[in-house]
This record gives sequence, structure tokens and C-alpha cells, in this order.
Amino acid sequence: MLTVRELRAGYGNVDVLHGISFDVRPAECVALVGANGAGKSTALRCVCGLVRARAGSIEFEGARIDHVPGHRIVRRGITMCPEGRQVFADMSVLENLRMGGHMRRDRDQRRDLEALFDMFPALRPRARQRAGTLSGGEQEMLAIARALMSRPKLCIFDEPSLGLAPKIVDEVERTLARIKANGTTVLLVEQNASMALRLADRAYVLEAGNIVLEGSGQELQTHPEVSKAYLGY
Amino acid sequence: MITEALQQVLNGLAIGSVYTLIAVGLTIVFGILGIAHFAHGSAAMSGGYLTFILTERLGLGFFPAMAVALIAGAALGVVLERLAYRPVRDAPQINAFIIALGLTMILEGGNLLLFGPDQVVIPTPYQHVYTVGGLVVAELRIQVMLTASLAVAAMATFVSRTRAGRSIRAVAQNRQAAVLMGVNADAVATMVFALSSALGVIGGALVGALLAIAPGVGEGLVVKGFAVLILGGLGSIPGAIVGGLVLGVSEALAAGFISSAYKDVIAFLVMIGVLLVRPEGLLGKR
Repeated sequence: MLTVRELRAGYGNVDVLHGISFDVRPAECVALVGANGAGKSTALRCVCGLVRARAGSIEFEGARIDHVPGHRIVRRGITMCPEGRQVFADMSVLENLRMGGHMRRDRDQRRDLEALFDMFPALRPRARQRAGTLSGGEQEMLAIARALMSRPKLCIFDEPSLGLAPKIVDEVERTLARIKANGTTVLLVEQNASMALRLADRAYVLEAGNIVLEGSGQELQTHPEVSKAYLGY
Repeated sequence: MITEALQQVLNGLAIGSVYTLIAVGLTIVFGILGIAHFAHGSAAMSGGYLTFILTERLGLGFFPAMAVALIAGAALGVVLERLAYRPVRDAPQINAFIIALGLTMILEGGNLLLFGPDQVVIPTPYQHVYTVGGLVVAELRIQVMLTASLAVAAMATFVSRTRAGRSIRAVAQNRQAAVLMGVNADAVATMVFALSSALGVIGGALVGALLAIAPGVGEGLVVKGFAVLILGGLGSIPGAIVGGLVLGVSEALAAGFISSAYKDVIAFLVMIGVLLVRPEGLLGKR
């Protein structure tokens, strides 16, 4: 579904990614794990067209997307739920969700809104409330719901558990598991490697802009180097 | 005394509504795109001159002429954004600032070449004067206030109620997230300049009808517009509305009770006074 080959990218004079390759197959959950600054977020930003690839290729459903501008990526069926939630703080919860469906012209949006309020019941009573007044956990749920409003084929999550209380992190994990169970393909970046590897069918370990390991989520959970470096045991 | 004060307040509200129009145009460009668009006053004056030509030489009515000028103004806004501001969007802010100063000179020069150095007043049929309980109410001032209110209300409705308006707010609040939702941020920038310049042109035409248009008036107006922007709170549309009216009324009161020669001084003293108490502006965010 998504095929990344020899991707190089960076900012200014610095290359962050030194030619990485990875695949995401339909209905799969793939995780990119690695330390801070390994290049995980940059890889995602390249896929979403927010950062230009300097070399290599990104293909989605058989078509090159590495030169497609960021605002056109969502029409191809890729949506990212960005790091730090990035909700529209001065808009209501409902308007945020409508922004998620900004590119949609169909008439099913009302039904999808209902379904999302069922999936995230905490948001329903707050539909008219300014998003900036929600708690961190609620904002994360809103950001996830907003991403789902575009009905993505591939939904990308950048550090969804960052800065959240442990109880909320569990909720995020359950939510991602549900999204995956609904058949949406998921690409996930997480510093919380144990959560990422529990969710992932397959995972790639990034170190300083290179992929150093690849395997199924289970394999990597028990891999001695991974558990020592990222899982803390 | 009371009647005299009310009279000045009324006069001030008319010119204040023009300041509001200019300031709203400036505040959306600054609040959404972060550009201090100094050429706004000169662009507004181009619209004022165009309205004058259309009424005086081609015999169009005031409002039809203003409607044509408004469309031309929106087109000018699109051109300014595309040709002048977009190339420096990712450059340091000082570049856009220098571009803005250069544009001001280009537009002022263009106005001088196209429309000449003479002072012009846009003719309107609204010459009636009503007297209500000792107050003198000129029909033209009423028309100016109504037109300005309608224009600002139309813009606010567009931004708060339509899909395109929502995409503008999305870019203003979080550009990157807006792009992820599929919003074309370049198109939003163009749209904001078109809106801003259209409002500015209405302001220019109203100044031309209420006072007069001449070389240099646009620059004076943009300085007042920025004063209003700071007074009301940067990027705040309600702030621009309140700020514009406050500036207009304090000018009129100063002219009526102290001296018309000092009206600008007093208006700016009011502004400094407000900023001493509320540095974020009347309706700005702390």
C-alpha cells in the first residue's frame, strides 16, 4: 500500500534520513520506533508532503506521491494525526471534526460525526466547547477523531501518547487497536516502544536516520537489543 | 454642550467606521499571514480613485461604481499576494516588511501617474441634511456608516459561517494542521489578500466621498489603520472595529473642543493612554 524506498530528507544542511526503506501493507499496523531525533517524525512528514524528500521515492497505492503538495495528500487517502495534537484551539470540537472532513463532499458526514461521538463519548457533551479548553487527553481523542473524519485508507499517528497521563495512554492504545480492528491501515511512530510493539504487526527500528532492525512486533519485543535500548529491561 | 458633544461623537463615528474598514483589512492580513501590509492604504486609494473615475467620467452611480472598484480591488489584492508577498513568505519577516514599503511607493507612484496630483472628491447624491433634536445629521455620513457596517458584517459572516471562511480560520490557528486537513494554505493567503483589499477599496471610496482623495492620503490612512490595530489588539477583528470607532470619536471630540490642528495628536495620546493600561490592546489576548 505504502512503499518507501531509499528516502533521504532533512532540514537546511543537515540530512536526517539517510536512505530508509519501509513498507506498509493493507490493513496492517506498522510502527517506527527509535530514540529522539532518529528521524521517525521526519519520515512521517515526508509521507504527508510536509517535508520534501531529497532523494528516493514514496509510493501510495502504486502512484508516486513524493512530489504531491501536502494539502493534496489527504485526498489520496492518507491522514496524519500530528504530534502534540495540534487541534484548532479557537474552534469548537464540532468545527474541528468538520475540518477533518474538509475535503469531503459526500452527504455521510453527519453519520460519521455521530459514529465518532459514539466512539469518543467524552467529546459529545463538549461539541460546542472551544477545543483549546479541553484536557490533554480529550484533545488527543479529538485529534484522532478529526483524522478519522477524512475516512483515511492509511492513518498515520505521530507520538499519540506523548505528554499524556498513563491512564489516558491506555485509552489511546485501546483506541488505536480499535481503529486497526476496523480495517484501517495504521502507521505509528512512538517513543513508547512497548505500546507501539504491542500494537504493531510489524515494526522498524530507526537509529540516526537509518533502519537498523525490522521484524514483527512480537519478535522485536523479545529482541535483546531492542528490549535493552527501548523497553528498559 | 451635550448636543455639541453628541454631534462630535456622531461625526467621529462616521470617520471611525472608515478607520475600522481599513484596520479590519490590515488585521486579517496581519493576524492570519503575519504580514504588516503597509501598502494597504495606497491600494485603498487606488480603489477610491477608480470609484471617482467611474462616477465622474462614466456617470455610474456611487454604489455601482464602488462595486466595480471592489472587484478590481480584490483582483489587485490577488496580484499583490502572488507577485510581491508570496516569494518572501518563507524568508525572514524583514523581507516582507521591505516589500511592503516598496509596494507603497509603487502604488503611490502608480496612483499619481494614472490619476494625477489633484485632490478629488467623489460625487454622491446623498447631500441631504437632517436635523434631529438639535443634531445635524448628514445623509452621506449615515450612508458611510451603513456601508462600512455592512461590509464588515459581510466579511465576518463569510469567515465565521462558510467552509472557505473556516479554512481561513484553520490556517490562522494552525497552518500545519490545516494543510494536513487538505487546506491549500497558498489559496488561503490569496483569499485573505483579496478580502482585505476589497474592504480597503470600500474604505478608500468612502474617504473619497466623505473627505477627499489626494496623493499621500493613503499613507496617512495606513498609519491610522495600524494605530487602530494596536489599539484594538493585533489580529482581532472586534478589536479593529472598536479601535477604529474609538480613534474616530476621540479625533472628532478633540477637533470640536480643543483644536482641529491638534486632532491627530490627541487621538494618538488616547492611544498611548490605552496602551499604558492595556498593552495587549482593548480586545487583544494577553
